[in-house]
Amino acid sequence: MKKIINHPNSVVTELLIGMAKAHPDLKYTDELEVISRKVKSKKVGIVSGGGSGHEPAHAGYVGKGMLDAAVAGNVFSSPSPDRIIKGIEEANSGEGVLLVIKNYSGDIMNFEMAKDMAEMDDIRVESVVVKDDVAVPDSTYSTGRRGIAGTVFVHKIAGAKAEAGANLDQVKAAAEKAIANIRSMGMAMNSCTLPAVGKPGFVLGENEIEIGMGIHGEPGVERTSVKTAAETADILLSKVLADYDYSGSEVAVLINGLGATPLMELYILNNEVEKILTEKNIKVYKTFVGNYMTSLDMSGCSVTLMKLDEELKELLDAPCDTPALKVL
Amino acid sequence: MGFRLSSKDYVEYIKLAAAKIHENGDYVTALDAATGDGDHWSNINIGFEKLIEAIPVMETMSLFDEFKKIGMIMMSVIGGSSGVLYGSAYMGAAKVLKDKDVIENQDMCNIMEAMLNAIMQRGNAKPGFKTMIDCLYPAVECYKDCITKALSENETVVLVKKAAVEGAQSTAAMEAIRGRACYQANKGVGHLDPGAITMAYQIETLMDYIATKL
Repeated sequence: MKKIINHPNSVVTELLIGMAKAHPDLKYTDELEVISRKVKSKKVGIVSGGGSGHEPAHAGYVGKGMLDAAVAGNVFSSPSPDRIIKGIEEANSGEGVLLVIKNYSGDIMNFEMAKDMAEMDDIRVESVVVKDDVAVPDSTYSTGRRGIAGTVFVHKIAGAKAEAGANLDQVKAAAEKAIANIRSMGMAMNSCTLPAVGKPGFVLGENEIEIGMGIHGEPGVERTSVKTAAETADILLSKVLADYDYSGSEVAVLINGLGATPLMELYILNNEVEKILTEKNIKVYKTFVGNYMTSLDMSGCSVTLMKLDEELKELLDAPCDTPALKVL
Repeated sequence: MGFRLSSKDYVEYIKLAAAKIHENGDYVTALDAATGDGDHWSNINIGFEKLIEAIPVMETMSLFDEFKKIGMIMMSVIGGSSGVLYGSAYMGAAKVLKDKDVIENQDMCNIMEAMLNAIMQRGNAKPGFKTMIDCLYPAVECYKDCITKALSENETVVLVKKAAVEGAQSTAAMEAIRGRACYQANKGVGHLDPGAITMAYQIETLMDYIATKL
């Protein structure tokens, strides 16, 4: 394992301290691993979080126009309720708090328990669950679809709505509208190495890729040979477009790198994605290309679409200023 | 006279359970690597290590406070899914122990049932989902059955232990509905659920410990 770390047990703490040092607007809460805004304002608070290893998610989205607090768990493991409660307290200005949760069993349980405990302290808390990964069949019986890169759009939309002074119910409604209109699909070319484990979770062959792999290395839908950028765009978009009707609409596009894929390749992929969308009469309103929701040193990408209406366009365009996403 | 466990006795059980979990590290990690991300044992082991560190405080507490303390430590130290589930279980069980100085046969059955209910509610899960519930649920059913039939406590602990171990083994044939194993193409069929195995270690150890108190 080659990594710039001191010790596997201290990676989360040290990454958050380093982040707070680089971004003086952020406050780091020791032990509880919470990053929050130094300056609070009177508005609905937005809190997200989850396992570490997905940087810049989630702490990189704390700032004006997005999150008020982000709660970090250990690598790929949900934060515990005591940490989440601290995040809720940091975000609460008396107007209530919205939790943006990615759909994994562990995250759901820990965030819901924190919600129950915060409500005992008379903080009003609502939650939304992001489940954008079309590689997994949706299900009301099993855990169902995972939350992946589309979560960043939900942070943007909910954050903008809260910043505009909307109440908790309105902020929650905007977040749910975004979630309903977001779909993502990813692929991986190589697995990632957890600092505490020291070797990759599995190994893909020299010319092998896996379509639909999760952001923790969960198995995908198909292992196949390396494709061109055009073929990759086609495979990923076909799944997204088959799952939700985007025809004739305007969309926001997120081309996300998983941590070890050069921006060069992400831009090449974006070129192909845009070609296909234009062909299908889907208009690209705004595009984001970069490493927004990573998976340690995994190489690969995901493509996310969000169908837009006037409200979502306005919220997407609203200014935000965070370490990992700025709209000016 | 049946068994009567004080908060000090429960600490003795915690020590034994910690040792049992500690010595099975490689086995549980290998099980977990097959269907999950391989961190279940190291997380639960750290949880028990922290419980051991807290023993001087816990053994002076009432059972109610002791169980709440165990719940808080497990929740924050283990983290992930197991932490919140064990945390909920111990906090649910603490309610059963309010104003009690000792745990007797019926109390122990109530404690395990309260833990089961708390875990099923928090995890929104039922028996058959390939989880720790598939070990705890048959153990609780067996315990209740033993009490209804007025079996001796000696017989009871043997039967409850057997139900827990067999329940954990039954997860091999199940399809996962919760947790990371549910993303596997075959839903983890053919693999034991590591969470059910570590739950079985705890129930086994508890029943063996109670047997020494009879």
